[in-house]
Order: sequence, then structure tokens, then C-alpha cells
Amino acid sequence: MYVDLAKQRSLRKYPKALFLLTAWLIFGATALGQRTITGTVSAEDTEGGLPGVTVMVRGTNTGAATDFDGSYSLTVPDDGATLVFSYIGYRKVEVPVASQSVIDVTLEEDISALDEVVVIGYGTQVRREVTGSISSLDEGSFSAQANTNVDQMIQGKAAGVQVVQNSGEPGGGMSINIRGVGSINAGSSPLYVVDGLPINNSPAISQTGNETAATRSPRNPISFLNPEDIASIDILKDASATAIYGSRGANGVIIITTKQGSTGDLRINYSTHVGINRVHNRLDLLNAEQYREGINSLIDQGAGSEAERVTDISGAGTDWQDEIFRDRAMLYKHNLSFSWGNGATSYLATLNNTKEEGLVKNTAFNRFSGRFNLNHRTDKVNFGINTTLSYIKDNFVPNGFDVNLRGGAINAAKLYDPTLAVRNEQGNYVTTDFFDIDNPLAIITGNHISGNRYRYLGSAFLEYFIVPALSAKVNVGADANNEDKSVYKDRTTIIGNSLGGVASAYSATETNYLVEGTLNYRQDLGDHSIAGLLGITTQKFQRRFSSQDANNFTTDATLATNFGLADRSTLINGSSKATNSLLSYLGRINYKFLDRYLVTASYRIDGSSRFGEGNRFGYFPSASVGWLVDQEEFFTNNIFNTLKVRASWGKTGNQEIGNNQSISTFNTGSRTSYVLNDQFVTSLNPSRIANPNLKWETTEQVDIGVDFGVFNDRVSGSVAWYRKHTSDMLLNLPIPTSSGFGSQLVNIGSMRNSGFEFTVNTYNVTGTNFTWSSNLNLSTLTNEVLDLGGVPEILSGSLGAASDNVGIIRPGDPLLSFYGYEVTGVWQQNDDLNEITNNVNPGDLKFRDINGDGTINGDDRMILGNSFPDLSWGFSNSFSYKGLSLDILITGMEGVDMINGNLLEQYYPRSGIRVNRFAEPFLNRWTPDNPTNDQPSYLGLSQQGQSVNSLTVNDASYVKLQSVRLGYMVPKQLLRNVFRTAEVYVTGLNLLTLSDYQGFDPALNPNGSANFRIDWNGYPSATTFLVGLNLGF
Amino acid sequence: MKYIRNIGMLILVTVLLGRCESIIEPEVFSETGPESLFNSLQGVEALLFGAYANAAAVGGNSAADALTAPETMTDIGFVTEGAIANWATNFQDWILDGSGSSLYSVYWNEPYQAIRNSNILLENVETANITDASKDLIRAEARFIRAWSYYNLYFKFGPVPLRTSTTQELQIPKASEEEILGFIETEFLEIMPNLPQPGAEKQYGRAHRGAAMGFLTKFYLNTKQWQKGAEMAQSIMDLGYYELYPEYFGLFQVANERNRELLWVRTAKADLGREANISIMNYAWPQAFASDPNTGLEFCDGCRNFATMLRFRDDFYLSFDPADERRSLILTEYINNSGELINLLPPGDNPRPFKYWPAGDFAGPAYGNDIPVIRYADILLARAEALNELNGPSQESIDLINRVRERAGIASLELGDFSSKEALRSAILVERGWEFWWEDQRRDDLIRHGEFIKRAQERGEPAREHQVRYPIPQFALDANPALEQNTGY
Repeated sequence: MYVDLAKQRSLRKYPKALFLLTAWLIFGATALGQRTITGTVSAEDTEGGLPGVTVMVRGTNTGAATDFDGSYSLTVPDDGATLVFSYIGYRKVEVPVASQSVIDVTLEEDISALDEVVVIGYGTQVRREVTGSISSLDEGSFSAQANTNVDQMIQGKAAGVQVVQNSGEPGGGMSINIRGVGSINAGSSPLYVVDGLPINNSPAISQTGNETAATRSPRNPISFLNPEDIASIDILKDASATAIYGSRGANGVIIITTKQGSTGDLRINYSTHVGINRVHNRLDLLNAEQYREGINSLIDQGAGSEAERVTDISGAGTDWQDEIFRDRAMLYKHNLSFSWGNGATSYLATLNNTKEEGLVKNTAFNRFSGRFNLNHRTDKVNFGINTTLSYIKDNFVPNGFDVNLRGGAINAAKLYDPTLAVRNEQGNYVTTDFFDIDNPLAIITGNHISGNRYRYLGSAFLEYFIVPALSAKVNVGADANNEDKSVYKDRTTIIGNSLGGVASAYSATETNYLVEGTLNYRQDLGDHSIAGLLGITTQKFQRRFSSQDANNFTTDATLATNFGLADRSTLINGSSKATNSLLSYLGRINYKFLDRYLVTASYRIDGSSRFGEGNRFGYFPSASVGWLVDQEEFFTNNIFNTLKVRASWGKTGNQEIGNNQSISTFNTGSRTSYVLNDQFVTSLNPSRIANPNLKWETTEQVDIGVDFGVFNDRVSGSVAWYRKHTSDMLLNLPIPTSSGFGSQLVNIGSMRNSGFEFTVNTYNVTGTNFTWSSNLNLSTLTNEVLDLGGVPEILSGSLGAASDNVGIIRPGDPLLSFYGYEVTGVWQQNDDLNEITNNVNPGDLKFRDINGDGTINGDDRMILGNSFPDLSWGFSNSFSYKGLSLDILITGMEGVDMINGNLLEQYYPRSGIRVNRFAEPFLNRWTPDNPTNDQPSYLGLSQQGQSVNSLTVNDASYVKLQSVRLGYMVPKQLLRNVFRTAEVYVTGLNLLTLSDYQGFDPALNPNGSANFRIDWNGYPSATTFLVGLNLGF
Repeated sequence: MKYIRNIGMLILVTVLLGRCESIIEPEVFSETGPESLFNSLQGVEALLFGAYANAAAVGGNSAADALTAPETMTDIGFVTEGAIANWATNFQDWILDGSGSSLYSVYWNEPYQAIRNSNILLENVETANITDASKDLIRAEARFIRAWSYYNLYFKFGPVPLRTSTTQELQIPKASEEEILGFIETEFLEIMPNLPQPGAEKQYGRAHRGAAMGFLTKFYLNTKQWQKGAEMAQSIMDLGYYELYPEYFGLFQVANERNRELLWVRTAKADLGREANISIMNYAWPQAFASDPNTGLEFCDGCRNFATMLRFRDDFYLSFDPADERRSLILTEYINNSGELINLLPPGDNPRPFKYWPAGDFAGPAYGNDIPVIRYADILLARAEALNELNGPSQESIDLINRVRERAGIASLELGDFSSKEALRSAILVERGWEFWWEDQRRDDLIRHGEFIKRAQERGEPAREHQVRYPIPQFALDANPALEQNTGY
């Protein structure tokens, strides 16, 4: 058998109850006929008869349904009748009766993807009728990751959707950009809607603790959701699909639908996996001997001082990566689900525990979650409750974007002296004398950082059918997220020792509630078919936050759990509260004529508390058309069986800015204190230059697409082109800082994203025993800043290992292009060093003097690359042979650059000469005997100011063997009657990366966004091996 | 009837929608609006303290970096290793491109943020719910901070946009030389009577008359208004309040803060958040410093030793009289963690500045030493210099200088040693170098004496004449088309 995704999906959407109901209705109809036909309906891939197949006499209301054996009996008026056999997921079969009295039929599966149901905003639609760009994923097509969160399930699977991993931590952060980045200063993450409830997907606590590395990739908030609970993910990409979400639609919308109970007796499913994670790729650093020789040779050539000479190696030295990384980080999952339904009512209950140890010692993620979904449906009423409750325990070690003592464990392991031992004779951690960084293991064991996340998400709806064509629906939902985090640096760390223990504790509560009412209308009138939607919705968000810092504790034993033991004079408390709200009116009309001409229009009016009085409401229209060419009579084509052309236009908005931006307020600002009479006093500063005219950022998007199926849908897919034009950008416009303010949030400027998306699904082999299907998705992306309201350029972006402003925003170029110096070679001994006024020596890098003034300075910077991939793709293949299945996913990215901060830091160390270096460039460095033009001498530290250059901005293109999953479905006869189904599988993840990039992983962006790539001190990605078991009872 | 029902529905819907709109009325928590801020003295003072904090710019590493970078352009010292490219290299190597150092924003933005707060205070204090006496004092302090900020801006960048109200256009050009100089002078002069006498200020760290007079003295000196400078210095001496602290070694220590040599300091106190601190010791410790055999100073338990190294030029170190007590704050040998005695004496440009002596108040990388801005020694030497410029060497000048030398424990000068104005002028410049090293005075002194560029060129630096002023920062130019770059850049 082969796995037909469309079929599985359809079956889920139309529970068997519906067929039984149809059958019953048909049986109930009076049959006046002259003779009776009997027979059996079977399917080509299953043994025995197929129950619930509708058998109709064409052109009449006469019909029957097959019983549990697949047999039917039906009266026909005469020999001229034709029987129509139909069953969802199978191709319709018509058989003229003629003189037969027994008609047996074998149905073939219908592999058309066009009949699947797509979840759109505030409703559903059949794929065939969709006129926008929507990528849909369901259970069969989720990435075969060891998914701890939703984002991973999408990775590599949907064209135009960039899923970038920011951290290899368990439950680590991921960034998603749908069709590029539309905004400079407002958010660029898509809106997540879970079972009709738009959720807040920002981390509640981003603080990492006093004197602890600040991370730009906090753990993924969406990881509260158990991936096994998810039935489908629909990604709305074009404006006709997203405009119904108005102000929050500009970055795309990810609609997550959770599983519902299935009709039938109680079904219990248990699934589990256990596996190991290992570091995918380690940094290639100098070993102790190479280090000693190398550092001493630098000192011989005049670097550093004699005091820094490397003398002894303790034992064989230490590979610090060995010390901080686990050899085998374990991961486990247990998932138990109960499902029951009787046709009208169904429920699903699940319990989940997912536990993952991090690659860095002492990091972990442990989630417990439960879900209860209840659904009840009659002719008049449709009612449902979806609730989930989850608890996550996080364990962290310091890691992030900082230097010296605040750099964290990975920074330390990268830089630490490999000639040192881990511990001295007294058993204490050895600390280097030459720079200000803790022993990497002291960082891991001396920092006690843990967090708890409690989240409740619940929604309930009641839909009442006033008449069959018209229903009214009320939907309410609530999302409550409670997080806390405590950080304690004990006395084994340098800072903990200096200050007698340093503690920070944070707690945050983020809640929101939603109330909405909609009217739905759907009517078929002959050739015309109309569906309409009208609604009003409001959502209110609240956030409370509090923090405590203190040091000088009487004991390390209580960690950050008893601030009463701290020195009172060091206690600092902070707290804040903020709210914002939305009020929206929405409407949509879908019109279909002759089953081939489709028109959709939608309109949303959104009001947000974040904007200036008078500008609070924004208006977001959209329109789209579709033409099902294959339905045209003139379209008689043996190749194409499906052909749809569609086009859409619409406007969406963005309101992801902070609160209070339109009004003048005062707050403590960056300097909270001044010292008077030797005591700290509270100070206030104006928070901003208010902009009372602040309004929505608007994105106008055009999308044109073709959906096709050829050779009986053996090959199907779609091609889409889009152009997103963002105007009135919410921009922190640099204003003259002589005003005392650096910038003002204004609506100015514009930006454009455009690209092609191409998806193709093929059924290469569809034999009885062996099947092979493939999916390829490709997308291109071009981003261009068009206008900055008259400002010529904005320099932005930082990394602690380089001077500020590594990126530039300039009209005509992609957003945040990397801005630095072009390396043209290395100064050689016979060169005239007076060509430039800068102090250079042979062995220093030679930079292009762009303005030719004989001095290399900030005016000689140029754009060195950008973070937008020219092409990203995913290619998956599924094979099955009898009970065996094999899924392979390969992903890739072409034409994308990244600042290689780790490489940069070892060329221009911030911590002096005694840090470790990357082996390959260092061992090939320039020396008088090796007058290379590729690598500098490592002596020219005065070139630190030019550290962002063409040597450190690297091509981060890659091809990755993302996942391989081999499964075996245990045959029914082996299961006895104990199990309904049983599958065992082994999976390997992130197995191989082909890339020239020097670092942990070119796909990893620790800078915490999808499209501004800076790799520095990132938490490495894992290679995972796991075995799993799925059992059905 | 039907119509009535429909109309009723319409009204109901309108009312409901109208009520709904209130949902999106913004609510403000945790921050305060201007009305409530000016409702109490505490609110007004908090805004004033914000102005002080911005003008002082002592958060994080700002103070250490801002003190050090100008020093590296002079004959005193330089920095090596660590993250110096982030802040120092652009100055030390005379690149001065207006963008390659975090200090451009410290030098440009922090004073303007103080000016912003001052202007808000001046525009709103009249309506504040506080006594008239308080209003007068707040006004005087706000103007003091504003004038101090323009003083700082002028001597780094030359004329800059003069912003005296929050309602001015955002994009304004530079003021003229006369305007800005006139403004600084008039403001200090006008507020002097309204400021409390030194020692009578409400809290230590707030403005007083002595500080305003001190700034005026320095202002006259650096703008070569010798007569006014000499007179203002004299008025300070006539206050009878100030005196030289008896010994140089302890002058900068936390324990001796608030002594009567200090006309104006940037106050500091150690805390982990580094709100208001000086962190220069982190750079000053030589590698693996364990203790100083001469003073017994030990590396404080839990102190921080950054990779960055502050180093004196040998020529400067060797210029000291061996008896000069001011050399006692220069580290020339130490015992490292391995117990070895490390020699930092020339050659090797290796002596280290330990002026901001690490004792008493530190938290991790933060130290609580107040940072002197104007000392009485400066006032004495300023008068000596001004008198010399006016009338050539005089006994009064020599006596003033000798008061400073006496405190340093070195031999007095004799009037007879100086045959010309020029001879005494250069002796004063040398004296100021010994007295004020690493106090951000050297650049101003060398510029005033016409030696700044010349000496850098003599050291082989690519210094050019126009570099006596820093370039206007690139971000300021980008945001303000009305602003012109300084000549030569």
C-alpha cells in the first residue's frame, strides 16, 4: 500500500459518522424501481469490502451505502441507469447497469490534493477553491524531527517559509520569516493561531541574570505546545489569506489545528522515543601543543609580552569542548492519547512528557503537557472545547552575546587555554591568569539557572445553525503564561566569589483573552455558490513582570531562593505592568460560479491601543480570483488533469511595536541612578519623543499562482510569485541626537520583498508493494529597502567581539547588509607600507581604500553580503515497501552570508593574546616564511576596528541531510488482538552538512532572527539518533 | 413596529460598538506622564538627577573609556590588547572617522541627553507644585548642567547645535563660535548667584557656586581669555573654602572623597549594575597581578583584570623627578600569581596608572572612586598660567606653581629660572602633565599650548592640524542634513 496523505486528511475531516448518516438518509428514501442490483465494493489496497461507499443512480435521488462487508443492494428504474460509486479519498466510478444484476466494483484511491480541507482564517475551505497562497502540512508531511516544538515540524517543508534555528539548546529558539522581512523595527514573526486563538508568542522573560551572558536566542515560547497534539499546520502567506487577520497579518499567519477525537470505540495510542544528541560539528581549535608553539611564536614576533609566554602543558592539556559538551545527551518522549467518538460527540485527551538533555552539560528541557479536546455536533449545534496545560522545566548555562566573564560557557571553551588542566591539586578549577574568563566548567557548575513555565491555553466555541445555510458562532479563548527564572552565581565563579554570590530572580505573567462572534453563511444556488462571513473580535493582553537582584549572601546553599540572606543594601527590585488591546470587525465573501470561477474578498477593520488617537483604526482589504481551467469544456487535455490560475491582492498591517509609543512618558531609562551624598538616587528621563500620529505599518501584497496536476495527479504542485511592498514602515527614524533622543518611532519609508515559490509533489512509483513519492519545494527571496524617509543610511546591529554597527540599512540594498572592509590581501615584506597612513606591518591585512584617500577608515566600508538566501529548498522522499517506510529530507540554502563571529574573535581577540584560535587559519597564518595572501599574521591587533571584513563575513550556504526515518509497521497478524497498530522506527537528524563554513553549523543563527545572521557563541546544533515506537490499542 | 425594532437594534448595536471602542484606549502603567511628574519635588528632582547622570556619563565603562582615549592621543600613555578597537583605537591611531568608536556616542549623546532634561525642567518648573525657592534652585541647577554639557561638547567638537528649548526644530545647524562661547560664559555667570555656596549644596554631587566658577576658570583658560581666567581663579581662591589635599597619594581614594581640593567631581559608587562607577582599574591591573610590594596593595578578592592594558610612555615616566610623590600612583613592579616579581620599569612603555586607587568600594568590575573634574590644583596652575600669559613670569605665578610642587614633595621653582614667558609656559605644561595625568586634561592642555598635533607627529602618528577637534559623529550627520562636518574631515 502507499500512504495517501490526501486520503488520511479527508477521512479525518469527514468522520465516518457522516457517511453513515448519508447512508441512512439514502436508505430512508423511498425506492420505486423495477429491479434490484447487488454487489460488493472493495478498494484496491485493502482486503475485504469497503463500508460506507455511496452508490447512487445517476440523475436521481436513489442511492444506497455499502454495509460493513462492502456489499450493497439497490433498486434501479431500468437498464439505462448508471451507478455512481463514490467514497471520499477515492476516484468516483460510474458503471452502466445494462443487463447486469451483480455489479462488483474496485475503487482506486484519488490522489488529488485539491480535495483536502485547508484551514483558513475564521473557517475552512476546500483546497480546490482556495485563491490565495497557503501551505498546508499534516501529520504525514511534518518534518520527521524529534519535534519538541511546532517550528521544527515546518522546517524545510513549506516554500517561502524560512525556519531558522537560533540555538541548538533543547527547546531552543527558532525564528520564522514568511516571505521575507517586512519591517525594520516592528516585529517580523508570523502570527500563531492555535484552534482559533491568536497567541502571544514572545518569551515572557528574556533576562538572563545579573552579570550573565545576555542571549539573543531565548528558548522557543511555542514549545509549550505538544507537537503530537497537532493535526495540521496551515501557513497563510499571501494577503488574500492573511488580510482577515488585518493588523497582525503582514508577517504571515501560522494556523495550528489540534487533533480531535475520532469516531469509534475508545482508542488508546502510546508513542515513545528515546535517543541521543551529539554535537553536530565542533569547532576546530588548536590543541595544547599547537597552541604553545603558536602563541610563543607570536610572542617571538613581538606580540603581547614575555610574561605571556606559554611554558608547561598540564598533562596532555585540555580539550575544553570535551569538557563542556556531553558525549551523549539523552532525549525521551512519552505520549499517551485517548480518543473516542460516537458520531455526534467526540473527545481526545493526551498526556505528554518530553525530556531532552542539552549538548552543554547542565542544560535541559523537560515538558509535561496535557490536552483535552471535546467536540459535539448536531444539525443545529456545533460545540467544542480545546484546552491544553503545560509545564516546562528549563535548565540553562550562561551563554550569549557577550565577552569576558559574561561570555558564557561556549565562549569560554572556545577561548580557553588548552595547556591548562581542568582542576589544580587542591581540586579547584584552574583559572587563566591572562584574561578575565571563568574556567568553562566553573561556568557550567557555578551558575545555577533554572526556569519554570506554566501555560494554559483554552478556547471554546458554540456554533448555532439558525438555518442550515446560516450559523452564528461565538468563540472565546484565554491564554495564561506564568514564567519564573532564578539565577545564582556561586562562589566557585569569579564574580560569585567577588560578591559573595550573585542572585537574580524574575517572574512574569502574560495573559490574554479573546471574545469574538461571527456569522457564517453558505448557500449553493444553481450555478452560483456563495459563502460569507461577518464578525467582531476583541483581544486584550496584559503583562506583569518583576525582578530581584542581590548579592553577598550568607551562604551559597540557598541559591536564589532566599533573598532574605543577601546583603540588604544590594537588593534591587523592579516591576512593571503593561496592557494592550485590539478591537476588530471583519468580513469575507467567497463566490463561485459554474464550479470554475472563484472570487474572494475580505475586509478587516482593526483598532489597536498602541497607536495615536485618531489613527487607532486600520483598514485591511483583500481580493482574489481563481480560475479552474481544468473545468472548462474547451480544456480537453490528456496531460493536465488539474490546472488552476489564481491571483490575489491585499493589504495587511503590523502593530508589533511596544506599548505607549504614541504618548509622552517618563521612565528610569538606561541610567537608573545617580550618586548623591554617596547614595544612589532615583532618576527619571523622558522615555521617547512621542509620536501622536503613529499608525499602522501597511504591507501590500500581490500574489499570482498556478496550481497544477498532471498525469492523473501523479505530478502536482504549484508555482507562485509574490511581491510584498511595505509602506509607512514603523521605523525608529534616527533623529538628531542633539534633541536628546536617538530616534523616533514614525511611519516612514518602504521596503520590498519578492520571490518565487515552487512546490511539486510526485508519486514516482505507486505499486502494490513498493511506493515512492517525492516533494520538492524551492523559494527565492529578494529583499530591498526602498526608502528611509530621506535618511541616507542607518547603521545598526552589533556583536560584542567587533565594533558596533556591523549592518547597514540603505535604500537599494537588502535590509541589514553586512558592512565592513574588503580584504585585498596581506601586506608583504617588500610592499611600500606608506601607501596608507595607517600603521601597518607586513602580515597585516590589506584593505581596499575605497575613497582612495590613503587612510583606511570608516569611509572605506562597503556591503559584504546579506542574510537573505537567494534560494532555499527542501527535498523529501518517502519510500515504502510492504510495512517498511523510509523518509529522507534534504534541505539547503544558497547565496546567504553570515558574520562568522567566532572566526572574527580569534583573529582579533578581545581577551588578549593567550586565547585559543581556529586551527586551520591560524596554522596557515602569514609569517615571513609563509608570505600568504590568505591569512594575516595574527599580530595586527590594531586592525580590530576593521574586524568585520570579507574574511569574517562568510558564505553560509549549505546542503543538509536533515532527517532520515526508517519505520516498520508491524503486520496485523503479528499484533494478535492486543494492539490495533504498531510501528517501530529509527530516526537520524541533522546527519550531514555540506558547507565551506567554519563553525558549528551554517544553518544556525545565534543572533535570534531569521534574516540578520551573526554567528557568535552560538549553542551548537545536534546530530540526533533515536528509536521510537507507536502503539495503538 | 418592525421599523421600531430595527431602529432599536441599530441603537443597540451603536451603543455596543461605542462601548467597544473604549477597549482600545491605551492604559499606562509603570511609567509616568508629565503632569504627575511635576506634581512633587521628588518628581522634579528625579528628572534633574537624570540630567546629572547623563552629564556625568559614568555608567558601564563610559568613564574609564572616556578618560583614557584622549590620553592615548597625548604624550602620556596608550592602551594595548583587549577590546580596545571598540573605543580607543579610533583615537589612539588618529583614524578619527566619526564612527569607529563607541565613545562618539558617549561624547555626543550623553551631554545632549542632559541638555534635554534640563530644557524640560526649565520649561515646566514654573508650573510645578513646589516652593518658589525650590523652583529657583532647580532652574539654576538645570542651567548649570546644560552649560557644563555644552562646555564638554565645545571642547571636543567645537561649535555644535545649540539647543535651549524642546520646541526647536529637530534639524538645526551648528551655532556660531561666538554664540556657543557666549552661551557657556553667560549661563555660568548668570547662575552663579543662585547656586549655593560650596559645601551648602543640598546633597554632595549637586551644583554649587564653586563648581560654576571652576568651569568658568577652565573655560577662560582654554579659550585664552587670560584676564578673565586669572580673575575668576582669584575669586575662587578668595572664597577661602578650597585647599590642596595634603598628600597626592590619597587624593583619589574613596576614603578621602569630598575633600576640599575638589571643586567638581563626577560621583561614583560601586554596584553590580555599574550605574555610576569608574572601571579603569580593570584595565590598569597588569597581567596576573597579585600584589604590589611597595604599597602592599593586593589584588582584591574577586576583582577583575581585563585583557586591556593601560601603559605609560617611558619618556613621560622618566620625566618625573624621582622624588615626585605623584609618581607613587604609577605602578612599576608587582608580584604576579606565580609569586614572581615583574618589573615594569622602562624600557617597554610598561608603567601602569593606579591613580584611581582600588580600595574601599568595589563590586566586580565597578569601583566607587569619584572622578575629579576640577581640582584646586588646576585653579592654582590656571591662574599661574594666565598671569604668565598676561605679564610674563612673576613671583605670584611661581608661588602658585610651587604650592602644587610642594604638595608633590619636589623642589620649588625660582623666578630667576625663567627668562621668558615661553620658558615658564613650557614649565607649566610639564607641571600639568605630572599633576593631571589620566584625568582627561592633557589633550586640552596640549591643544591650548599648540603642542597636541606637533607632539603626535613627532611620535610618528598620522595626526593632522584639523584633528584638534573631533569629527562630528557619523550618526549625527546622517540624521541631520543641517549639520556640517568639521573642517578637514
